[in-house]
Amino acid sequence: MPSIKLDGKEIPFEQGDTIITAAWKQGVEIPHYCWHPGLSIAANCRMCLVEIDPMPNRRQLVLDVLQWDPKKGDYVPGRKPKLEPACQAECMDGMNVKSESSPHVRDARKHVQEFLLLNHPVDCPICDQAGECKLQDYWLTDQRAPKRMLDEVIHKPKAVEFGDTIVYDAERCIVCTRCVRFMEEVALDPVLDKRERGNLGEIVVSPGRKLEGHYTMMTDHVCPVGALTTKDFRFKARVWFLRKAPTICPGCATGCNAWLDYDPRTGEVPRLRPRDNLQVNKFWMCDDGILTHRRAQIDRVTHGYVGRGGERRAVRPGAALEAAAKLLEGKVAVVFSAQHSSEDNFALAQLAKALGATDFYLSRLNDWDGDKILRDADHNPNVRGATAAAGGSPKKLEELTGASTILALGGIADIDQATLAVLGRSKIVAIAANHGPLTNVADVLLPAASWSESDGTFVNRQGIEQPFEAGPRPAGDSLPAWDVIARLARALGHNLAFNKLRDVRAAMDARSNQNPAAAAPPPAPAQ
Amino acid sequence: MAQPLVGKIQYDRVKGKTVPRPTHTASEQAYFVEVVKGLGLTMRHFFKNTKSMLRGERPDAVKDPLSEGITTLAYPEQKKVYPKRFRGIHRLTLRSDGSPRCVACLCCSTACPAQCIYIEAGEYPEGDARRGYERYPVKFVIDELRCIFCGYCVEACPCDAIRMDTGRHPVPYDSREQFIYGKDMLMSLTSVEGKQVAENPRHEPPDPTHPGIDRLKGAH
Repeated sequence: MPSIKLDGKEIPFEQGDTIITAAWKQGVEIPHYCWHPGLSIAANCRMCLVEIDPMPNRRQLVLDVLQWDPKKGDYVPGRKPKLEPACQAECMDGMNVKSESSPHVRDARKHVQEFLLLNHPVDCPICDQAGECKLQDYWLTDQRAPKRMLDEVIHKPKAVEFGDTIVYDAERCIVCTRCVRFMEEVALDPVLDKRERGNLGEIVVSPGRKLEGHYTMMTDHVCPVGALTTKDFRFKARVWFLRKAPTICPGCATGCNAWLDYDPRTGEVPRLRPRDNLQVNKFWMCDDGILTHRRAQIDRVTHGYVGRGGERRAVRPGAALEAAAKLLEGKVAVVFSAQHSSEDNFALAQLAKALGATDFYLSRLNDWDGDKILRDADHNPNVRGATAAAGGSPKKLEELTGASTILALGGIADIDQATLAVLGRSKIVAIAANHGPLTNVADVLLPAASWSESDGTFVNRQGIEQPFEAGPRPAGDSLPAWDVIARLARALGHNLAFNKLRDVRAAMDARSNQNPAAAAPPPAPAQ
Repeated sequence: MAQPLVGKIQYDRVKGKTVPRPTHTASEQAYFVEVVKGLGLTMRHFFKNTKSMLRGERPDAVKDPLSEGITTLAYPEQKKVYPKRFRGIHRLTLRSDGSPRCVACLCCSTACPAQCIYIEAGEYPEGDARRGYERYPVKFVIDELRCIFCGYCVEACPCDAIRMDTGRHPVPYDSREQFIYGKDMLMSLTSVEGKQVAENPRHEPPDPTHPGIDRLKGAH
C-alpha cells in the first residue's frame, strides 16, 4: 500500500485520498473547519494548511515574506515555504508532509484562527456549542493569544429562524459552507447559499423558501461552530454536563448509529447525535431520527398499573407482577414488538415456550415516507430481530381473534380502532416503555425501560446486528424488558435463568448455534 | 542490595534530622508550680490594668468599649475594615434595566468546587427582545454554608454577573435555610461602594448601544 509521512508517522492511503482524509482514516486529526469526510472539498477555511516537501528533483516553492523580529522591534525580510491545504492536496507515494512539526504551519494556523475570530462575538456563555466548539478547541491548541483588533466587530443578524427547526447566528458563522454543501449534496435540496464575501459573508436561505425537509437538523451537526443550532436542543443543556452512550436510532429500519447524550444527574436525554458508521448511515441522521430522543421522556410507563380505564391504579412492582401472573392462564397469544430489542423479544419467546403458547403476533408501526437517502419505509427498528425471535413468521395483529389472554411487548405501535376493539375483549398483560394503544386497554401494565435505558440489539434492514448501550438509569420502577419478562416467568413458576443481559445473549447464541437456519434473520424484502 | 518493601517498613531509607526530645525539670513535670506561676502573671496584669483604669489612665473597656485605647473590637458595633479584594458573600450584578446580567451559562456552577450553586435556566417570555437570544436564571441559589469562598465562580463568570465585592461575610443565622440565598436576595446586595449595576455595559439587542440585530439596522 502506498504511504505518506505525516510528521514522521507513516500514513498509508488509497489512490485518490487527500492528506487530511488519509490522516483521518488513521485517526490523526489535522485541524480543519470546512472539510467533512462526507462532503465535497471547499478548502475555504485554510485551517488545514500543511507544509509539503518538494518531490525529488523539484524545487520547493518559497515565498518572500516580512517576519516580525521581536528583538529588533521591526519586520525583517524572511522566507517561508508555500503551504497547501491538506484537504485538497492529494497524497502521492513517498510524500513528506509536516503538520505539527513545521513552525510555518503552526504560525499559519495561529493566524488563520485569529482571522476567523476577528469578528466573532465571543458569546460563548449564551452559545449552545460552547464546550464542543472547534473555535474553542483550536484557540486552545493553536492560538492561545488575545485578540489584537481594537475596532468594534462587524455585527450581523442573530437568532435568525431558518425554518421550523433551525436558528442561525451570522455573527458566529465562519462561512465554512458545510451546511450549504450538506443540503446540496446529501439532502439533495440546495436551499442554503452564501451571501456577500469576506467579513460580511453569511449563510442565507433561498428567497421564498424555508429550511425544510427531513434533513434540516443535520446542518446543526455539521456546523463546526455555534452558528446553526436546533430549536429542539437550543438552551436545553450545557454540553459538558452530558454523558454519551453509543445507541441506535429507533426511528426506522435503517438503524442509524447515534450518540445518546444524557444528563446523568436527571436522566434526561436532551438530544441524539449521529455516530459515524460508513456501512449504515455514514455520518448522517434524519430529523425524525434525531427527535426520537423524546421517546425516552414522553409518555413513559414508569410504574406498574392494574385495571382498565377509570379503575386503573399504580401499584408496586411486585403486586403488578402477581396480578400479571394471575391473568396469564389458558390459551395465551403472545405479541412481539418490532420496537424492542432482539434480547427483549427473545426473552419473551422463551417465556412463551414455557407457557406453551404458539400463537405469535407482531406489533409495529405502519410504514412511513421513506426515501433513498437514509429513511427506510419500515418505521420500526427491529422487525427482523423480533420476527426471528418469534420463530420466523409472526402473524399481524389484525389476525388476532378470540384469544383469552394476550401477553404483549411494546407500547409504540399502530393499531386501528377495529383491531383494538377486538383485542380489548381479551385480558391483556402489556410490558411497555411508552404508553400506546395497546397499553391503554391493558389489564396489567408492567413498566419496561426505554431503549435509551437498556442495553440491547437491533437488526437493521441490511441484517446487521447493531448493539446499543444504556444511557441513564431506568426511569421510575421500570426495568429492562427482558428482566421484567424473567421476573414474570419466575412469578409464574418458570425459571428462565436470565439474571444478566449476558445470560440472554448466551442463550441466543446457543440457539443460533443449534439451529442456524431458524435463528438467522429472514432475508431482506426485495427493494 | 534492594530489599523487598513488603511486610516491613524500611525506616533506614527515610532520611531525616534527629531532633532531641525536650527535657522537663522536676518542677515543670510536677505541674503545680507552673500553674501558680501562670496565675501570678495573670494577676499581675489584672492589678496593673485595674490600677491604671482607676487612676483614669485608660478607658473602661466594659462601660466605654468604643473609645480609643481599647485594643479589642466591640463587634458588631465596630467592624474591622476588610482589604479591598476581600471575598465576601456573593451578589448578582444588574443591567441598567434592573434585570440580572446572568445568562445562565452555568460556568460558575461548573467551576464551583463545593457545588454550592444551583441554577435553573429559562427562556425569556414571548415578545421579549432577548427571547431566542439568551437565557436567564429562573432560579439562582447559593448555599452559603457550603460555599468555601474561593472565588472561582467570579473568575469563571464570562458576563461579570456574579461578584464577591460586597465586603460582607455571611451573617450568623438561626437556621440552615436562611443561609440559602435565592436570586432576589443576591440581586439586592450591593458592592462596598453601594453599586448594583456593573461598570461595563453589555451590548445586547434591546440596548440602545447595540449596533443592530438585523442587517438593515447595522452599519453594514
